[in-house]
This record gives sequence, C-alpha cells and structure tokens, in this order.
Amino acid sequence: MSDLSIREPPTVLVPVEVLEGESISDSLAAFLAPANVVVLGYHVLPEQTPTEQASLQFEDRARAAVSDLAAVFRAADGADVETRVAFTHDREQTVERVATEVGATAVLLPNPVGAVSDVVVPFRGAIDADRLADLVATLLADGEGTVTLWGIESDGFDAAATVERARSSLRERGLDAARITTETTAAESPIRDIVVRSADFDVIVMGEGDDSLWSALFGGENERVADGAVAPVLVVRDRETE
Amino acid sequence: MGTSRGNGGSNANRAGETPVGTGHPETVTDETTVTEEGTELERSIGLAGGLSIGVGTMIGAGIFVFPGLAAGRAGPAAAGSFTIGAVIALLVALPASELATAMPKSGGGYYFISRALGALPGAVVGISIWLGLVFATAFYLVGFGNYAAEMLQQAGLGTSIGGIGVITPLALVFGVLLTALNLVGTENAAKLQNYVVGLLLSILVAFLGYGGLDAIGVFGTQTTPEAFAPFGVAPVFTTAALVFTSYLGFAQVATVAGDIKKPGRNLPLAMVGSVLAVGVLYVATIFVATSAMGSAALRDAGETAIVSVADQFLGTAGVVAILLAGLLATVSSANASILSTSRAVFAVSKDALIPAFASRMNLRYGTPHVALAMAGGPVLVLVALGETEVLAEVASFLHLVMYGLMCVALVAMRRNEPEWYDPDFRVPAYPLVAGLGALASFGLIFFMQLASQVIGVVIMIAAAGWYKYYASDVTLKGVL
Repeated sequence: MSDLSIREPPTVLVPVEVLEGESISDSLAAFLAPANVVVLGYHVLPEQTPTEQASLQFEDRARAAVSDLAAVFRAADGADVETRVAFTHDREQTVERVATEVGATAVLLPNPVGAVSDVVVPFRGAIDADRLADLVATLLADGEGTVTLWGIESDGFDAAATVERARSSLRERGLDAARITTETTAAESPIRDIVVRSADFDVIVMGEGDDSLWSALFGGENERVADGAVAPVLVVRDRETE
Repeated sequence: MGTSRGNGGSNANRAGETPVGTGHPETVTDETTVTEEGTELERSIGLAGGLSIGVGTMIGAGIFVFPGLAAGRAGPAAAGSFTIGAVIALLVALPASELATAMPKSGGGYYFISRALGALPGAVVGISIWLGLVFATAFYLVGFGNYAAEMLQQAGLGTSIGGIGVITPLALVFGVLLTALNLVGTENAAKLQNYVVGLLLSILVAFLGYGGLDAIGVFGTQTTPEAFAPFGVAPVFTTAALVFTSYLGFAQVATVAGDIKKPGRNLPLAMVGSVLAVGVLYVATIFVATSAMGSAALRDAGETAIVSVADQFLGTAGVVAILLAGLLATVSSANASILSTSRAVFAVSKDALIPAFASRMNLRYGTPHVALAMAGGPVLVLVALGETEVLAEVASFLHLVMYGLMCVALVAMRRNEPEWYDPDFRVPAYPLVAGLGALASFGLIFFMQLASQVIGVVIMIAAAGWYKYYASDVTLKGVL
C-alpha cells in the first residue's frame, strides 16, 4: 500500500444488524480491511419498545456479536477496528449519525459475496472523485482486482467526463492503468441495469444519489440497488457541508 | 448488578432481584443516551413527534367525549372548567418539564418521584399510574365504541343486535386489536399517529372556526341565550375534576423522555405546547357547542354530543367528518395510553418493585409482550364494565396524585440538589408554581364522586401494601 499516494485514508462504516443474525463474510472483511473499518452493530426496535428496555436484555448479546465481527476484520488485516453498538427505532438516523461522527468515507450495504476482487463504479451523477479514488485505490492496492468505471448517460450529466476524471484520480493514486476499465453507455432504466450488471462484479461502489421524493417513498437508489443486486454496495458519502 | 451487598439493606425484592442499571452513570447527548458499556441508545422522536404524543393522547377525550357530560353539569361555564383544567395542567407541566430535562429517561413521573422522594412513594405512584393509564385507556375505548356505534347508526345499521348494544362489544374488539397490533410490532406507528393528529387538528380547526363565527352571529343563525353558569359555581369545579381526564397526556411525553431528541429543549416545549394547544381547542369547543345547542340538549346527546353540534351546523357532511375525527381521536388516545402503560410497567419492573419478568421482551417482534399484556388485559375488564364517568375520574384521581407528587418532588430536588441534578430547563419562581400545582392537583381530588375517590384510595393502599410485602428493601432515593 505504501506505493500509493492516498490523500485521505478512507474510513468505511459497516452497519450490521447483529441480533438478526446478519454477518460479514471473511472474504468481504479481508477486502475492506485495508481501510479504517468501523463496525456498527445495531438493532432496530418497533416504536413501542424503549431502547433502554431492549438494551437491558440484549446489550451483552449485541456487544459479543460485534466483538466477534471485529475479530474477523482484525484477523484479516491485523489493524484495530473501532466498534459501535446502537439500539434504535430508525436505522437511517443511526447510520447517518455514526457515519458523520466517525467521518466515514463510505457506508457498506451488505450482501452475501464470495471471493472479492473486481469492483464496478456506476456513475449517474456527481460524486466526490477524491474520496472515491482514495477508497477504491486503498481497497484494491494489495490484490489483483480490477475496477470498472461505468458512466451512465442522462440529460445534463456528462458521463464521459466524470469517468475520465475518476480514472485520472485513480491513476494519481498510483493504481495500475491495466487494472482500470472505463466505459460509457446509455440506459433506459439505470437502477435495473446496474442490478443486472452487478452479477459480473463482486462489489458495487456508488455515490449517495439524490434525495428525491421517489427515493423517500421507495428507498434511495443505493438501497434499491442493494436489494436487487447480489453484490454488496459501498456508498461513497458526500463531504459534510458546514 | 446490585448496588449494595449484604449488610442491612439488601436492596433486593422478595424474589432477590435488585434495581437494574442504577448506579451506572449514563451519558445523555442531544441524539443518544450512552450506557456505561458504551452502547448508544438512539433518540428518534423530535418536537413534532413529542407534541403529537401529547396532543394525540389528550384530544380524544376533551372534544369527543366530554362536551355533553360537562355542559350537562356546569352549563356554558364548562368552558371555565376546561380552563381550570388547563391552568392546573400547566402548573404541573412546568415542574414535570424541569424534572424531565434533569432525568430524560423512560418512566416519567414515576421515575422523578422515586428518585426524589424514595421507593415507597415511587412504588405507590408507579403501580397506581399503571392502573390509572389502564382506566384512561378503557375510558377512551368506551368513547370509541360510542363513536363507532353512532357511525353504524348513520349508515342505517342500527346500534343493537338482538337487543344488545354494540358499544361495549365494539370497544372490546378494538381494545384487543390495538393490543395485538402493538404486540406484533406496528411499523411507523408513530408517523401514522402524527398524520392522524394532523388530520384531526385540521378537521377541528375548520369546524370550530365555522362554529365560532356562527356563534357570534356572522351567519345570522340565532344563538341560544343561556345563563353562563345555570347551576352555580360549585359544578364548575366538580366538572373540572371530571374533565381533567382530557389533560392526562402531557406527562405521557415524559414517559418517552429517553427517546426524545434534544431533550433539554423539546421536552418542555412538547409538554407545555400540547397543554396550551388542547386547552384552547377545548374551551373553543364548549363555547361553540353550548352556543349552538344549549347545555340541556348537549347533556341529552351524551358522549357524542359534538356530533349533534356538527349536524346543526353542517348537516350530514359535518356529522360524517366529526364521527370520523372522533374515531381517529379515541383510537389514537387509547393507543398512546396502551404504549405509555407498557412503559410505566417497564419502569417499575426495572427498579425491582414488581417482578423483572414484566419487562421481558421477545426478540422476534421486538416488543415488550408482558408489559403490553399487563396494559391490554385489565383494560378489557374495565371496558366490559363500561362506566364512563367513573373510569374517567379514577384515571384522573391516580394521575392527579402523581402530578401533585411531581410538584413535591421538584421542591425536594431543588432544596437539596444532588450533584447530578442539572436540568436544562428551570421553572421560574419554583416554590410558587410547584406549590400551586401540588395544591391544585390534590385539591381537584376532593371534587370527585365518592365512588371514584374510594377506588383511587384502595388502589393506592394496595400499591403501598404490595411494596411492603414485595420490595420493602429496595431503595431508590437519589440513585440515578
């Protein structure tokens, strides 16, 4: 990793619904471990249940499960892993709050995955190119995996230019040109296309997307991709604007 | 997990359980409570949610059940009764706000009293507030039954099947339904509650606005001239004691204090704000209703008097709108009270005043099933009895005892402030406010029917007896 020039070491927030038996596979942990990993074990309660009541009964179980997960990451990389445990009525609110507190570059939406090497980055709008490059370069540094930068054209979005900017950012970090593929296509229904193509890759890296009414009703683009795709999704967060 | 071992006070109850989590400092932030082990408990209810809990709990009774009963007793001066109720509620809401910002935890009034005054008063309040909420819930459900029956009648289906009234069966069915829904976990229940309360307020403001203009003669309808207090002054106070049930909601905001974002700001605003909002609506309702129909006609119309008022103003469309609003309001009050009951049970169980079993929850649905059953079960028994006025008054009695003691708790805290006592909101002129609040709360009790007073006292004595029997070694005073 030392031969890369990372500007800002990326931090990945890994929210896991531990008491529901959700987990992270060893291979995904190994893939993410080069980044600073924060494991957030959370449990969502119905509104009629006080979080305090749940914590009295299940705190120890949740903490043990999160420690086990942290051990998986530690085994993969040797570096220490920060852990957080939260009981909440609102998953979004908790993930967003912790992501802000730890200054997360990206948040993981887990999906089961086997061996992890190849990354696809579908571009549908503006994304923080520096954060993206730091993240992808850090994660790919030690392996042989490739990254495919895939611009999806739409009105008012210059897909080709965005892809090119991302490619050069990755090159600046020192990622081998042979491991970067770029392409630009038009798409009728981008979310479905991303879901379909995700079968060819191991991990999807995306921007946060917009906060439209549609996403408020049916879940954000990222959630819809994560629901449909077989691969885990890393959502690159926009920088906080003060 | 015990806070003391051996040597005299074992701090354990008869089953050997000790208060859980006491003596472990928690860190309260605007967004979370952090336990000693570092686990974060997210605060997810904002100001709107807090107001909606307060208003949603209260509004069911004051407008949709009481106008007929109150006007029948006190005449148009029932507006004065509702005003007295609002003033008392405010005098209690201020001390409750200070205590809640100092101890933003689940449990509300019970928690403050047990910490400020000790385990015995705490146990009496904790157990009687559980039953007080049970009485209140039963009262709301009977109100719901009345509205549902009225709706059936409007639809031309009649209100009795084979000579048996449908009010109680409807109330029972809905009581079972609400408890079951809460048991299996209703997603977004709170958001739904927000919309229900919003819709309700819109209907009411439109209705009262129209009725108010009509009452002062804008639309040229003749208003009924009537003496303001045809039955004298005393009924104004006895009626205030009765209708105080319609203010039993602001303290429910404190029972969810552990879930409120920015508790230092939002708890006082939600409690005081919801009292003011419903107080204005109640007084306006009585004014409009008595102007439209006269108190004798209102009394005859009984629990659904407001429907007759709507009929007077707007005909069938008004009736349907108000019936719908009444159904929503009584359901939301009943639902909010069931939830508060379950939290009240949790709070006393956590402190080992009742068996820890009561605060168990199941992981499958994530709901506190035992506490919910302890809320829903007794409610059904009371609904079956169906005595609206007694239900309302016993609920008021038990709440008033808690309110009075909260004021006493504030004085106790202020006179000897523990090191951890650091409320974000401090009541101005606290001895005056808390003193008046306590006097008024205890005073109202004396205006109730004898039956309600007897039932209330019996419940309190039973609670004290239970404490002596089961948990007399448990000490809670001053421990966080």
